[in-house]
Amino acid sequence: MSNNKMGKVKSILGEIWQRYNFILIFIVIFAVFLIINGNATTLTTLMNIPRHSTVIGIIALGMGIIILTGGIDLSVGSQLVLIGGLTVMVFNMTNNIFLCMLFAIAMGAILGLFNGLLIGMFNMPPFIVTLATMLMFRSIAQTVMNSNNWTIYQLNAKLTGWKTLWTLGNAYVPGTKIPILVVILVCVVIVMTYITTSTKFGKKIYAIGSNEKAAQLSGINVNVSRVVVYMLAGILIGFATFLYVANVGSVDPATSGKNYELYAIAGVVIGGISMSGGKGRVLGIVFGSMSFTLIDKIITALGVNPLINDTIKGAILLLAIAVQMLPEVTKRFNLKKAKDITEETEERGV
Amino acid sequence: MNILEMNNITKSFFGVTVLNKVNFEVEQGEIHALLGENGAGKSTLMNILGGIHPKDRESGAIIFDGMPMENISIKSSEAAGVAFVHQELNVINDLKVYENLFLNKEIINKVRKLNKKEMIRQTTDLFISLGVDIDPNEMVSNLDTSKKQLLEIAKALHAEQKLFILDEPTTALNNEQINHLFGIIRRLKAAGKSFVFISHKMPEIFEIADRYTILRNGDYIATGWIKNTTPEEVTRQMVGESYANTEVYETRVLGEPILEIENLSGDGFHNIDLSIKKGEVVGFTGLQGAGSSDLMQCIFGVKEAKSGKLKVFGKTIKHGSIHKSMKNKVAMLAANRKENSVIPDMSLLENTYIAEHCLSSRKPHIFVKKEIAKYENLKSMLNIKANNYNDLILSLSGGNQQKIILGRWLNIEAEILLLDNPTQGIDVGAKAEIYKLILELSKQGKTLIVNTLEIPEIQKVADRCIVFYHGGIQAILNREEISEEKVMLFATNTIVKQEREVKHVQ
Repeated sequence: MSNNKMGKVKSILGEIWQRYNFILIFIVIFAVFLIINGNATTLTTLMNIPRHSTVIGIIALGMGIIILTGGIDLSVGSQLVLIGGLTVMVFNMTNNIFLCMLFAIAMGAILGLFNGLLIGMFNMPPFIVTLATMLMFRSIAQTVMNSNNWTIYQLNAKLTGWKTLWTLGNAYVPGTKIPILVVILVCVVIVMTYITTSTKFGKKIYAIGSNEKAAQLSGINVNVSRVVVYMLAGILIGFATFLYVANVGSVDPATSGKNYELYAIAGVVIGGISMSGGKGRVLGIVFGSMSFTLIDKIITALGVNPLINDTIKGAILLLAIAVQMLPEVTKRFNLKKAKDITEETEERGV
Repeated sequence: MNILEMNNITKSFFGVTVLNKVNFEVEQGEIHALLGENGAGKSTLMNILGGIHPKDRESGAIIFDGMPMENISIKSSEAAGVAFVHQELNVINDLKVYENLFLNKEIINKVRKLNKKEMIRQTTDLFISLGVDIDPNEMVSNLDTSKKQLLEIAKALHAEQKLFILDEPTTALNNEQINHLFGIIRRLKAAGKSFVFISHKMPEIFEIADRYTILRNGDYIATGWIKNTTPEEVTRQMVGESYANTEVYETRVLGEPILEIENLSGDGFHNIDLSIKKGEVVGFTGLQGAGSSDLMQCIFGVKEAKSGKLKVFGKTIKHGSIHKSMKNKVAMLAANRKENSVIPDMSLLENTYIAEHCLSSRKPHIFVKKEIAKYENLKSMLNIKANNYNDLILSLSGGNQQKIILGRWLNIEAEILLLDNPTQGIDVGAKAEIYKLILELSKQGKTLIVNTLEIPEIQKVADRCIVFYHGGIQAILNREEISEEKVMLFATNTIVKQEREVKHVQ
């Protein structure tokens, strides 16, 4: 009886671990941050965590829905550069922030559609398609810049709209210490959580990632759904790029968005989404991305050589995966132990 | 003399007892059927013998070929003389046939290079002696399921062991191949080899086995001689108290034709003419690959037809779209549940609703409460044994999984249900329930087509039986004409040949 109860408690704990380990990982990294930062921690430094995670977080959300269907997108960083560069040009030409945003989103949709059509309609492998477009998009951004004799895409600060755009990317909600970017991030997360958990389209995403054949035989048009998913991810990237431009004010094709595909994938994985698709929750992605931002901050606070940054990030990623695999590993270990004990007693018996 | 004795075997996983003091023995040179529903413990018992799971310490003893076996590992079990043909196909698709056969036992020459010639020669010899028609140089991925299963069996036989465990070896084989396999088994038996035969197909068991042992819920129930019992008796013992006689076929008044097929040809079938009435239950059968499954897939829109007409409710449908078929109230319960139906990471509720979501995706929001209410209705109607709607579908037994999938289609109010091998891999009790459901649904006016290789299933439920041969309809039999013998004669093209000969004489 009590044994049974124990088992039940254990399985419930196991399930909580399975579902929420992304928060625990975040809390651990956060605790390390608090300890290192000590008295220097203020509300502003705390708010900076989600604020500096906004762009990569929204991109990771796009990556997340793609990975949920069992796909991948390596071109997100290059999309950011291409969309960003062109958005800067649009702003400099029109001085219209709203148009800028629409352009960034539309551009994202187009790039996503391009990836999606190749993957969904022509059944090309996502890894290769997005590897190719990763090279293409960044190179196009560089070529356009070069042919205009620029060294960087820079917002024209003399334009009247510039101040408003900069405010959007860097200021706080009036009267509070909450950055506007954080409010936007929260809104996007709410929308994405709603789409993935409470809409029929969201269920399709999970179904395709879980068992594509069964999804198809249940009436899901898998090809079209894939295209839509890549397009939706493109829209998110476009929107994130707009925020990036508002926040930074310039786009440098050589460095902007570099390694973002890897950070986004890492955020998704730390967030507890299975790389093979079909499993995981969107909320985890935000925590996964924030965990990564925190590591940056810890390194800055420690004052170590920033070149070591990626080593630590990589190590944390490995650690996070190891922690997530813990229940599985302990299960195997227990089985093995049980077997060893069996063998031992039997040996003694002989 | 007993080749195998397993006495008082107990096994528990995480405090749950799955085998409770089970006894099992196999005499040398006998074919012993190990029977029980899914989850009765058959596979666990055999996995203990095969070294895949350890038995509980301090429980029982295993004596094989006169020697006590302890701390069994996969290797030591093999070395002792046990060959295990698993239910799941364990062949490697990306290797050639002979490479699979010699996997880990490769023949090498003096310079440690693979001796391909010798391996291919031995493979050819083995296949000739077994009467298996497979090219040793073929890639395994190019073989169909039945050939893969034969290869798997050949692999075990090649090892020349003393005891062969065959875990549902015939699921992918057609009758001809099964007869052939049985011939091989009998030959080996005459040579003193012993067999443990696990199967859900009663006719097979009564054809091939000498003795049987029944397990139920991890308990040992009985051992006896096949010749002294009947399928009904065995089934009753397997299922226990819950077994009820479920043969409730009644003649019904059928409605107007709602599925009309005119001269339809496509991939795997040709020139099909067929008209099916509302409320009718039609059985499709034939040898594996005779075209009935392909025809079903075409009706459901998985595959496109090349020519001909398909009318549903009097409306001509031109397609190749599953979605369109669903809109026209056609549904298909696909064969191979695990591959084609189950969405493993989703809950019971989500699995039930996934098809409905596709039809109603214009209204994107999901009203969970409404869905749960409807799910609970379906659950009680289909008598699904499950706890919470949020549980993963994989937590259910095969039969209950299949009912959830059936629920998926009833949920879109499908009128024409195409059931492709609906009782595949589910136990006797659940099979009986599925038949009962088929008959109940037909009484409610649903039209059902059941595609199966098992003729007794068709006899239980069908108004008509369509026999396929090489992509065409060989015979349409009315209920009173359906007999296993007759269907087999048509399915193997024996009857038609005779008729032609008669005509020639005239």
